[in-house]
Amino acid sequence: MTSFSGLRPLAMILPGLFLAMFIIGYPVVDLAYTSLQEVSRFGKLQGYAGFANFAEVFADPLFWSSLTRTAIWTVCVVGGTMLISLPIAIILNDDFYGRGLARVIIMLPWAISLTMTAVVWRWTLNGRSGLLNATLMDIGVLAEPIEWLAEAQLAFTVEILVGILVSIPFTTTIFLGGLSSLPQESYEASMVDGATRWDQFVHITLPLMKPFINIAIVLNVIYVFNSLPIIWVMTEGGPANGTDILVTYLYKLAFRFGQLGKAAAISLIMFGVLLVFTILYVTLVTRGDRQPQEVADE
Amino acid sequence: MQSKLVKSLVYWLLLSPLMVVILFPFAVMFVTAVRPRDELFVFPPTWWFSEFRWENFAEMWVKTNFGQALFNSVYVSVLSTLLALVLSIPAAYALSRYRFPGKGAYRTFLLMTQMMSPIVLVLGLFRLMVALGMVNNLNSLVLTYAAFNMAFTIWMLQSYFNTIPRDLEEAAWIDGATHFASLRRIFLPLAVPAMAVTGIFSFINAWNEFVLALTMIRSSEDFTLPVQIYSQVAGRYQVEWHHVMAGTVLATVPVAIVFSWLQKYLIRGMALGAVK
Repeated sequence: MTSFSGLRPLAMILPGLFLAMFIIGYPVVDLAYTSLQEVSRFGKLQGYAGFANFAEVFADPLFWSSLTRTAIWTVCVVGGTMLISLPIAIILNDDFYGRGLARVIIMLPWAISLTMTAVVWRWTLNGRSGLLNATLMDIGVLAEPIEWLAEAQLAFTVEILVGILVSIPFTTTIFLGGLSSLPQESYEASMVDGATRWDQFVHITLPLMKPFINIAIVLNVIYVFNSLPIIWVMTEGGPANGTDILVTYLYKLAFRFGQLGKAAAISLIMFGVLLVFTILYVTLVTRGDRQPQEVADE
Repeated sequence: MQSKLVKSLVYWLLLSPLMVVILFPFAVMFVTAVRPRDELFVFPPTWWFSEFRWENFAEMWVKTNFGQALFNSVYVSVLSTLLALVLSIPAAYALSRYRFPGKGAYRTFLLMTQMMSPIVLVLGLFRLMVALGMVNNLNSLVLTYAAFNMAFTIWMLQSYFNTIPRDLEEAAWIDGATHFASLRRIFLPLAVPAMAVTGIFSFINAWNEFVLALTMIRSSEDFTLPVQIYSQVAGRYQVEWHHVMAGTVLATVPVAIVFSWLQKYLIRGMALGAVK
């Protein structure tokens, strides 16, 4: 039978579905199971423990400080990225000399793996001979080199800034996609009415860009809140757990301290958070077809 | 004309602070990679150095066993990409061409798995690989990378497949071609560019992956590049920064060039087609 119907498509999606279920589905089930077990230091399950692991997690001050820091990390990185990316996208969407080159440079951080970026920044920020200190001393901002990563508050701030830097390209790309789809007539009409560029931004660009801003926020939250490499490579959550977010704390519990039950419980909590944001994302995307219309109706 | 020039100047001026911050680490990377070793830790710190030591690269290659890590990265990235493509192409074709029961649920499943991050599941994945006896085995990475990349590759492929008109295949059927023949002679040749672009992004994802490689691979001769370079920095009293930076240059620059060149195609894979 030659047509685009029948059961053949099920056979086409099954092999891939099977692999995904196995590699992604099984660990979820295993984590849920492990989190309810008492686990020895060597990973042996020692029987049902009820919610003891969760109770232990909630009684752990390091969990709460990591959670707070995760919230700060996510809000600051995503917020900073949004604030910088929208103007950048508006500039790059306009026609000017050297726009191609400007685009390539702005997108550059996306092309490098987070691990490598973090390794390079770790050296750049070296407290003695790092070239950031060299530069700041050369231009007279600093008299003495600064130990950028030795003190938690400062190290975490620097990590947030690096987080923003690497999130800008992706976000700008989403915004560029949105800007290129905006109807040109609205702008021309508003020019006739004597609107300034600021008026246009507030009354045309922002409302029409709303679906893209929503998607960019949700996607960035998903990527940023469980991003390990930057913090892991630059400070490993240190000094003294002062830059730990949930993922770095979870990783230490699981693979350094052998507290598998607790680690499984935290994984499951994070999985829950991830699920909430993913569902939000899926709703935004599947509603997407309707959205520009809704916005125009407002 | 005059105003475009002014506008360009203003724009470049506005963008320049960000550009400096973006280019700064690249400058650090290159300058450190070619520095003589005894000019790394000078005080006060300075950009100045006495000579370009290109030998650093050759030295680094031998001392850090760079070739082995490069081979491991290529092995894992190529095989996981091929596995992902082999499983994704039929699935994407099914999504793009057929109606079938559960299609909506399947699309939702893909969107959800695309957002699943390995780090949240890393403990469960590790226990899975222990159960399979695959810890310290590069094939554990091939399997997991393929599984985590598949949602992206299926989504990206099907958005390209949608742009290939189905009339071509239907016309072939009328001429008596079988389903398999129309696929092989008509559809697949047209889909080659889409598969190539998708494959390259899947390759880059695997190439850059850190957390799973750090977790599954224990012995240094099986390290992939990100873990190999990280291992030269972490927990060492003395870091040979000129070697680390030389390694970073070699590991990132070729991939970065390809990525920058193809990056405009990427947004399709992000499921944003639905927003437009």
